[in-house]
Amino acid sequence: MLPAPGVFYFPWEISSGAVQEGTTVRTFGKLKCYQPADSQAVLSSQHASTQHQVKVHTAFVEPFNPILGAQYIVLGDLESTERDGLMVCARVLNCVDGVDLTLLQSAINEQRKYFHDREGEVNTQ
Amino acid sequence: MQPERGDMEGEPPSMLWGLDPIFSAFARLYIKDILKMNESCQVPGIYFYRSHPISKVDVLGTVVYKREREDFFCYGVDDGTGVINSLCWKDEQWREHGEPVKASKSTVTNTGGFNPAEQLKKLLQAQHNSSHLEIGDVLRVRGPGKTSREQREIRASTYYKVTDPVLAVQIAWMLEVPQLYRKFYDKPFQWSSGMHDLNATSAPVTLLEQACSLLKDFLREKAVERFRPYDLREQLVPLVSSIPSASTSTHQEAVTNQSTSKQLHALFRETLQLLEDEGLVFRKVISQDQVFQVTENDKELHRVTRDIIREDSRREKYAEKGCHVLHILSSVRQSYSQNVSKMAMDVVLRSLECNSEIISTTDSHYTVL
Repeated sequence: MLPAPGVFYFPWEISSGAVQEGTTVRTFGKLKCYQPADSQAVLSSQHASTQHQVKVHTAFVEPFNPILGAQYIVLGDLESTERDGLMVCARVLNCVDGVDLTLLQSAINEQRKYFHDREGEVNTQ
Repeated sequence: MQPERGDMEGEPPSMLWGLDPIFSAFARLYIKDILKMNESCQVPGIYFYRSHPISKVDVLGTVVYKREREDFFCYGVDDGTGVINSLCWKDEQWREHGEPVKASKSTVTNTGGFNPAEQLKKLLQAQHNSSHLEIGDVLRVRGPGKTSREQREIRASTYYKVTDPVLAVQIAWMLEVPQLYRKFYDKPFQWSSGMHDLNATSAPVTLLEQACSLLKDFLREKAVERFRPYDLREQLVPLVSSIPSASTSTHQEAVTNQSTSKQLHALFRETLQLLEDEGLVFRKVISQDQVFQVTENDKELHRVTRDIIREDSRREKYAEKGCHVLHILSSVRQSYSQNVSKMAMDVVLRSLECNSEIISTTDSHYTVL
């Protein structure tokens, strides 16, 4: 069986709890820390002058080469545990250091806007 | 999106599908839409996105699932809107050479010379690398859509791994696809206007085009070498007299009230200008007495051009590539007529080439063997 599609979400949408648990997400951020013993990493990103952090469970993508401070893209299912809270259970974790974040954000927004317009169109019909 | 069954019955007849350019293109649809498309009830294997018949798709996404079989890989591709299986055949050629490729690293010999066998191995290795993907790699796959065991999938006709370390390719794709949807996929194709175009291709639409093709036909049929404008003006009389007084074209509205002879004169002048711009006619000598040469039928011009190319191709300077168009043009202007236009020159060169009297070596160089 195929997994659910990893929809792009901004890290601040995930950290604010706006995305439901169980959703498959794709997001980005700078690798802030990595604890191999717990298979845990933290991606951080800045938005509107605040830092947002997304916890990532990395057991499925290990071993990988952690470069602290580099941009990563993560794709995985959003899960919540009592001990660690909300975290992305990574199925894909790619280093994309050098990515044009502004352009990426505008591409995500462009895609959302398109679907938004289309759904609006269907509803009015 | 057209999830209702009712739309299926309204699908355009398959005879007309070819009129829609999207039908023969690799449509860059979102995977979500590919999964939702309805299969045609007339021809299985063809799908409908809105009213567009889709025969093949073009997809870029992350591999999130992989299964290997003896003959093919099955990759699950995720573009952020959906996940679809794509069936990617293994290359037969590679399988035969499979073993040597793996061993190539150990047998590398540093002789320094060009070793075709070595290069072939490298080539095969590169091909191997771009066709074997792991989860997390980016895959571009094009091919027809299929439905097998009630699951939609893509039978890859081409597929390769995309090296996209800074997401540039994926971002460009994400920015482009919504534009394609807005401009093409979401716009209904006008079948009726497409049919109109089809019928209209043989018949010119505007008066000017009609006049133009009329004169062209006349010049060709009668093999006219040169003419004076008043000799030919009569040819356009039927066109002008047949115009209904309430004409639709703006150009005509302005002149409806003028006398027919004035209309005829204006139309003829425009037509002549058009023919001149296309290089089909030119004036050898600019004088009061207007004489137009017909480029195609000007044997003297053809002979002069051929001679120039033949002579100059012997010179060392032009021996390798032949003569450049502009060089030919300036020589022709010196020896034949100052007023030969670039377009007219192109017409002559094309006609000489069609008769195999000269050969083009590049886009703009010609020689004689």
